[in-house]
Amino acid sequence: MKFRFHDKTIEAQPGDTVAAALYRSGQRIFSRSFKYHRPRGLLCVSGKCPNCLMNVDGIPNVRTCITPVHEGLRVKAQNAYPSLETDFLSVTQRFDWLMPVGWYYKTFTRPAMWHAVEPAIRKVAGLGEILPSGPREYEHAWMHAHTVVIGGGWAGMQAALAAAERGEQVVLIDDQVALGGQACYRKRMGPRPDAIIARIRAAANIRLLQNSYCFGLYEGNLLGVLQRAPHPGASERLIHLRAQQTVVASGAYEAPIVFPNNDLVGVMLSTGVLRLLHLHRVQAGKRAVVVGKSLQAGEVAEELRDGGIEIVAIVDPDTILKATGSSTVNGIQTRTGHFSCDLVVICGPRIPDNGFVAQAGGRIEWSEPQGAFLPTLPPSNVSAVGDASGEAVANTIAPLPTSKRAFVCLCSDVTSADLCDAVAEGFNHIETLKRYTTATMGPCQGRMCQLSAIGVCARETGRSIGETGMTTSRPPNPGVSLGALAGPKHHPLRRTPMHYAHQDLGVVWLDMGDWQRPRYYTDHLAASEEERVLLEYRAVREAAGLIDVSTLGKLDVRGADSGKLLDKVYTHRFSDLPPGRVRYALMCDEGGIILDDGTVSRISEDRYFVTTTSGNLDFVQQWLEWQICATGWDVHITNVTAGYGAMNLAGPKSRDTLRKLTECDLSSGSFPYMACREAKIKGIPAILLRIGFVGETGWEIHCPAESAEGLWRAILGAGHEFGVRPFGVATQRLLRLEKRHVIVGVDTDALTNPYEADMAWAVKLDKKEFIGKTLLAHAAKDRSRERLVGFVLQSPGVPEDGAAVVVDGQPAGRVTSARYSPAQLAAVGLAWVKTSLAQDGVFIDLRVNGELLKAKVTMKPFYDPEGVRLRQ
Amino acid sequence: MSFLIPCPNCGNRSVYEFRFGGEVQAPPTSAAPPGDWQKHRFNRVNAAGVQAEWWFHRSGCRQWMQAVRNTVSNEVLESFLPGDKQE
Repeated sequence: MKFRFHDKTIEAQPGDTVAAALYRSGQRIFSRSFKYHRPRGLLCVSGKCPNCLMNVDGIPNVRTCITPVHEGLRVKAQNAYPSLETDFLSVTQRFDWLMPVGWYYKTFTRPAMWHAVEPAIRKVAGLGEILPSGPREYEHAWMHAHTVVIGGGWAGMQAALAAAERGEQVVLIDDQVALGGQACYRKRMGPRPDAIIARIRAAANIRLLQNSYCFGLYEGNLLGVLQRAPHPGASERLIHLRAQQTVVASGAYEAPIVFPNNDLVGVMLSTGVLRLLHLHRVQAGKRAVVVGKSLQAGEVAEELRDGGIEIVAIVDPDTILKATGSSTVNGIQTRTGHFSCDLVVICGPRIPDNGFVAQAGGRIEWSEPQGAFLPTLPPSNVSAVGDASGEAVANTIAPLPTSKRAFVCLCSDVTSADLCDAVAEGFNHIETLKRYTTATMGPCQGRMCQLSAIGVCARETGRSIGETGMTTSRPPNPGVSLGALAGPKHHPLRRTPMHYAHQDLGVVWLDMGDWQRPRYYTDHLAASEEERVLLEYRAVREAAGLIDVSTLGKLDVRGADSGKLLDKVYTHRFSDLPPGRVRYALMCDEGGIILDDGTVSRISEDRYFVTTTSGNLDFVQQWLEWQICATGWDVHITNVTAGYGAMNLAGPKSRDTLRKLTECDLSSGSFPYMACREAKIKGIPAILLRIGFVGETGWEIHCPAESAEGLWRAILGAGHEFGVRPFGVATQRLLRLEKRHVIVGVDTDALTNPYEADMAWAVKLDKKEFIGKTLLAHAAKDRSRERLVGFVLQSPGVPEDGAAVVVDGQPAGRVTSARYSPAQLAAVGLAWVKTSLAQDGVFIDLRVNGELLKAKVTMKPFYDPEGVRLRQ
Repeated sequence: MSFLIPCPNCGNRSVYEFRFGGEVQAPPTSAAPPGDWQKHRFNRVNAAGVQAEWWFHRSGCRQWMQAVRNTVSNEVLESFLPGDKQE
């Protein structure tokens, strides 16, 4: 396998990680540090430290030491210019005296100062850059399990097998390249765990999630799991994994020891060196000094010697003065002498990885004999096993010399001297020390530095480690990409049954919620919206127009208590509505605030047909069902929105058009305004409502969705001789505005009651009981607030929606809708004004394009104020 | 928030499948003064402890139900369809 590292081609062997292959090819510097741009090499080789973060295939901050190689990967270093080996910005470490701990807070004391330097600092400091890159797919998945085991080491595998043998469904999560944990690279663990791995793989009820990590344990035992490269079509999958029992078997990781120059390239953790050696057959160096206490260090030295690495010396941490070398380590200076080497192997403290127990609500306390923070009192559904529980962990805390080159936090270059300074400045609590110095806040989330930082804090404050305590473990840890959290870029899209008929006509679409609706039709010609809308407007006013209103919410309401329910939820009365009649329906909440409007038609004695606004259907349906649930009434609601297509034919020629297609008597005598009928149109069963949203003679026709496109084409065909045209939402908005018809949610807001919206006629306070009655009765008496009025602009121009109403130089309201009206030959609209201005003939000022223009208030429709046309 | 709600129809489901309908409160009588209705509309008990609540299983059976929840621990003690439980 081959992959690219900048302009080099790197050979990789099967099972290699990116970092292992790079190391084998001779790469030693893997990153440059956050603040001082010091060269950094591999340290933990297990995804716990920040040193190997690189940009892989355009994704920044990828932990290359646990990222498997695949053919054609493109890997780049980050935070270094021009290269990892020569980084000009490493000059910053000469100016470390300029940048003491907390220098942001001390230096940039005014916003202006910060704004001046922020761009430069962002360039110099920090992690990788997010580059706009090609499409990357993320997925979300949901899983359930009896038992989830976090960590595929020895203890985790045992726990998974034990649970599987009890017959439980088990999920085993491992973030390393190979199952087995330290059993794969530590001789003292005995033979390689091939047999148990085979049993895990063979168990039918163990689901193995490899190359995956758990980043948080949330309420209800919900685990956030990130699976890398689940399949070629997705780069990451976020799994919402719900467990009944969580077993934390995340083991213990090794942390560095603090001494001057402890961050030089070639200073590595013993587990990192052993991983390279046994998992990847890579010798990390030729001549090594092992740093550690006698027993532990002796074991490691022996294993390395067996692996062909010469051991120069075993050095006790207590005797170390410093590591030597400029960027790569060349030796260790101790009290007794200097040892030359090209590799320093640190046998550091082993930290039980038990953050998930803390996230589950368990307590974590310091155990002096084990030298580690251990979980006590975990919740009943979470347990820690193996090294994560602290068993077999016995640390002695190495000295923490104070030095400006002894790095505690590798993520953001915080030294032991910085921590001492911060404590001296008064940040003597571990939580404030963390926030002030940013130690433990970097990509490693404290894995490498927490114990040392606590140690320094304890020593400097004269407290014990137990008293100093630990910072709080919070998810996500390790980090998760925002793309994975955001998930797939899916957005539901709804199309009406006539969608393709619109497309054939040539259309400009309008997105309304999930729906796509025709904004206006183009006839496949290039023309402006104004021209096309005027054409459609003229057709409706002079001949007839046809609009697709399939997006209206449509509810079929049946049952003995249907009338009672509609009386309760709407302000009008519906129990007395005779079959064959339609009534406008306005819905308010208990506070008398307008929620929705629509129509209610009584199709037969026990069947109502209710329409709602397009966007409020879900809400209205739930609102009705809530009332039914709370009262126990005999009503059944069926949402037939998708089952019916709907279109509105309106205009003086609509009757002539429709007459060609139906035997239903359409004369106003037998089918008057606000009546409804069931009839066949061109053989298609339909519900016809004679209503007039746009102010002309017209019918709203609802028919089965599968026949809607055919009916649409039939009506346009029949109307062709009369000049019937299809019209879109843009034209409908203009037509309804001329009639002063309110659109709920556009002209009203979350504080509007019907009296303010000038719709008192729709509220029947003499009705015994309905939702909002008491407060509406109260509002009917108190009209002190604003009113929604119509206005006609007295000079050319059209106010924008939202334009200010100005009275005596003070803002006194706002415009909610405005359009140029061909009927008035001026801009007309709706505006909220103080009640005192809500009278015919009053003049108000509107701010239009920065100018104040006079407008005349009217409380009547701008077109056909008496409503003669729609009754013809 | 990621607790589970036992839906009487569907069993244990994630809270994200539900719409919250607020505390279960008896509305004032129709003769009650506007002040009572204002309190009913705008004020909440907001108990730190056990309270009865309305929930709608939006991504499931699409039924309204009541659940008794401890707002401190988010433990749902019981849930039922109002018609199934006689007061």
